[in-house]
Amino acid sequence: MRIESHPILTFEKGKIVKFTYNGKEMEGYEGEPIAAALHAQGIKVLGYTHHRNRPRGFYCAIGNCSSCLMVVNGKPNVRTCVEKLTEGAVVETQKGRGELK
Amino acid sequence: MLKSTGIPNEKDLESVIPPKERLAKGPVAIIECFEKIPCNPCYTHCARGAIKEFEDINDRPQLNYDICNGCSICVSHCPGLAIFIVDETYSDTEALVKIPYELLPLPVEGSFVTGMDRGGKPICRAKVVKVQNPKFQDKTPIISLAVPKELSMVVRFLSLEDYYSDSTIICRCEEVTLGEVRELIRKGYKTVEEIKRISRCGMGPCQGRTCQQLIMEEIAKATGERIEDIKVHNYRPPILPIKLGRINGGEKNE
Amino acid sequence: MIKTDIVVIGGGPAGICAAINAASSGAKVLLLDRDSQLGGQLIKQTHMFFGSQKQHASVRGIDIPGILVKEMEEYKDNIQIMLDATVLGIYEDGVLTIEKNDDYIKIKPKGIIVATGASEKFPAFPNNDLPGIYGAGAVQTLMNVYGVSPGKSVFMVGAGNIGLIVSYQLVQAGVEVKGVICRGPRYGGYAVHASKLKRIGVPIMPGHRVIHAHGKDKLERITLIKLDENKKEISGTEFDIETDVLCISTGLTPLGELLWQMGCEMKFIREFSGHVPVRNEELETTVPGVFVAGDVAGIEEASSAMVEGRLAGLCCAKKLGFTNPEYSSLKEDYLQQLHDLRSGPVGDGIRKGLAKIVV
Ligand SMILES: Cc1cc2nc3c(=O)[nH]c(=O)nc-3n(C[C@H](O)[C@H](O)[C@H](O)COP(=O)(O)OP(=O)(O)OC[C@H]3O[C@@H](n4cnc5c(N)ncnc54)[C@H](O)[C@@H]3O)c2cc1C
Ligand code: SF4
Ligand code: SF4
Ligand code: FES
Repeated sequence: MRIESHPILTFEKGKIVKFTYNGKEMEGYEGEPIAAALHAQGIKVLGYTHHRNRPRGFYCAIGNCSSCLMVVNGKPNVRTCVEKLTEGAVVETQKGRGELK
Repeated sequence: MLKSTGIPNEKDLESVIPPKERLAKGPVAIIECFEKIPCNPCYTHCARGAIKEFEDINDRPQLNYDICNGCSICVSHCPGLAIFIVDETYSDTEALVKIPYELLPLPVEGSFVTGMDRGGKPICRAKVVKVQNPKFQDKTPIISLAVPKELSMVVRFLSLEDYYSDSTIICRCEEVTLGEVRELIRKGYKTVEEIKRISRCGMGPCQGRTCQQLIMEEIAKATGERIEDIKVHNYRPPILPIKLGRINGGEKNE
Repeated sequence: MIKTDIVVIGGGPAGICAAINAASSGAKVLLLDRDSQLGGQLIKQTHMFFGSQKQHASVRGIDIPGILVKEMEEYKDNIQIMLDATVLGIYEDGVLTIEKNDDYIKIKPKGIIVATGASEKFPAFPNNDLPGIYGAGAVQTLMNVYGVSPGKSVFMVGAGNIGLIVSYQLVQAGVEVKGVICRGPRYGGYAVHASKLKRIGVPIMPGHRVIHAHGKDKLERITLIKLDENKKEISGTEFDIETDVLCISTGLTPLGELLWQMGCEMKFIREFSGHVPVRNEELETTVPGVFVAGDVAGIEEASSAMVEGRLAGLCCAKKLGFTNPEYSSLKEDYLQQLHDLRSGPVGDGIRKGLAKIVV
């Protein structure tokens, strides 16, 4: 969910871009972190751990904890809380350690 | 206890409420800042020098009630949003309370909102007299509420939800609305007992625990009586619902 | 290899102020931050700050970096800023490795000021790794920087200033806050913050702990238990609350990895919530030429972080031979400001901590 009005802040947003999440087409703002764009669509589960297959969302949102790793444009282990969204990005949940396709 | 509930107690409040004589003279700041913290913008922003100079930045603000004219400059500059202005000279029955309010949407001037107390509980219906939001207040609007005079030291926030509209249910057991009670009062029924008997308000399983206070407030509003003087309805046994059978000695009378 | 007089690591309030004062003393400064904007914690703080006018009290946190950056422009000939640049390591020969856009850069400065701030602590309970359980910093970044609401309802763990303030910010963003808990019988933050929340209608519940989080793929529900005065669990008092977000604000711990790498003597100081470097009054660590400022030197406030930054910048420059003409009076003023900020009851712990660490 996007915050539409705020008593203190005004949000400057980039232009709207299209991207895909597990093959599904979605929209977000250019330059915002991929995890934020997904969260705005209600998607909290970004990946599954390699060992116990537990669901993972983001945790720190500043690139510290690697909880938000996803496969972006075929490249695994991308920290989506800091990786900026671009037009046509292909975003996929990551299962386990992530192997290059 | 302030440090476990977030609500100051009477003794805390006593130390910041000006004497009656001062309140009778017009608007004044009520500075509800009870803890020594490193902070002093209230002092540095009061151009009149009504707040005593801080010797140590951890001092608690000390207001000279006679110098303060209730200008409200300090209200929007206090990072703790701990300062309110009270004007008990607003009208014969009402006081004006000025409250810093940083939420959206803002209330509309002239509309009615619900006055809330320090614990976030609805207390009264309040009229929005003014919404001040100039640039220098930097997004901390100040809302002026007209509230019953005796609540000038109780109302400290507002909710846009109108807890006091005609459609509000006040007796949840018998589903009686405020509007129905108001109608009865208009028709001339002025005691809790009468209203209760006709509307069945307060006759449900809770035995008037939730609605009695509200009915009393409505009567007080309509008649101008003080709440203290309104006769309370008789608490008849049983005070909790029991199966009739128990009282009747075990007879099954379904 | 880039050469400069002083490298400042971290562009929060401490780092920016350190850069200003080092540059105004005549040193060439490189200011680094891994984020894409300057300000550190301040860029998420929508509330007005405490402190005194000298530390920009009553200005909203988000507006303070702008004021500082403007001040920095005066010395722009001496300050170079590098953003999106993460310092990966500092070696004992004093060379820094920086990662910027997948490139590696090496720098050898004459002096270093570390102002890396803090990282968040994390409590242990079953399922604490479910999506929907976020650090307070992440919740703030999401809602205040990117304008995305963290969820429908939030339950807050931790009632220090951060827990109380972030709860208030959540209500401002239109999110329901179902409650704020802490383990002790009293909340830790300022009373004015608690009162502000309370009158908005947010329950403050001291004496509770989360013992379990539940949910299939993401958080749906938590189980709480009541604690007695001594923070012992009272069995049989468990109850559940439905919530889709659990926000964790159980404290910060200084982010001192780089100081360890350089071989600075570190000590665990309870009052500062972690390991902090041994230093002198001028904020120089046990490694000559390496200074610290702000939360990395001990968790405090932005107000003291800014003053520490100024002091470290001034003294680090002096050490390298760049003596500000007003060095003595400035230093005295900063020490006095720090003393004043820490002199009240909320500064008790900080004073105790300092007594153990300043040599
Ligand atoms: C919710 C909340 C409310 C607060 N309210 C107040 C308040 O009312 N008043 C007040 O005075 N203080 C307040 N504070 C505290 C204040 O924000 C911090 O004390 C202050 O920001 C500390 O400043 P700093 O410069 O030391 O660290 P930070 O602001 O944390 O900045 C550190 C910077 O270093 C960067 N960094 C870290 N590691 C590296 C690396 N390896 N390479 C490159 N860059 C790196 C980070 O990206 C960051 O920008 C609040 C804090 C929070 C979280
Ligand atoms: S209301 Fe005006 S005069 Fe009174 S303390 Fe505040 S700023 Fe000073
Ligand atoms: S500005 Fe507000 S919070 Fe600060 S000391 Fe004054 S009354 Fe207290
Ligand atoms: S959420 Fe921690 S690195 Fe992305």
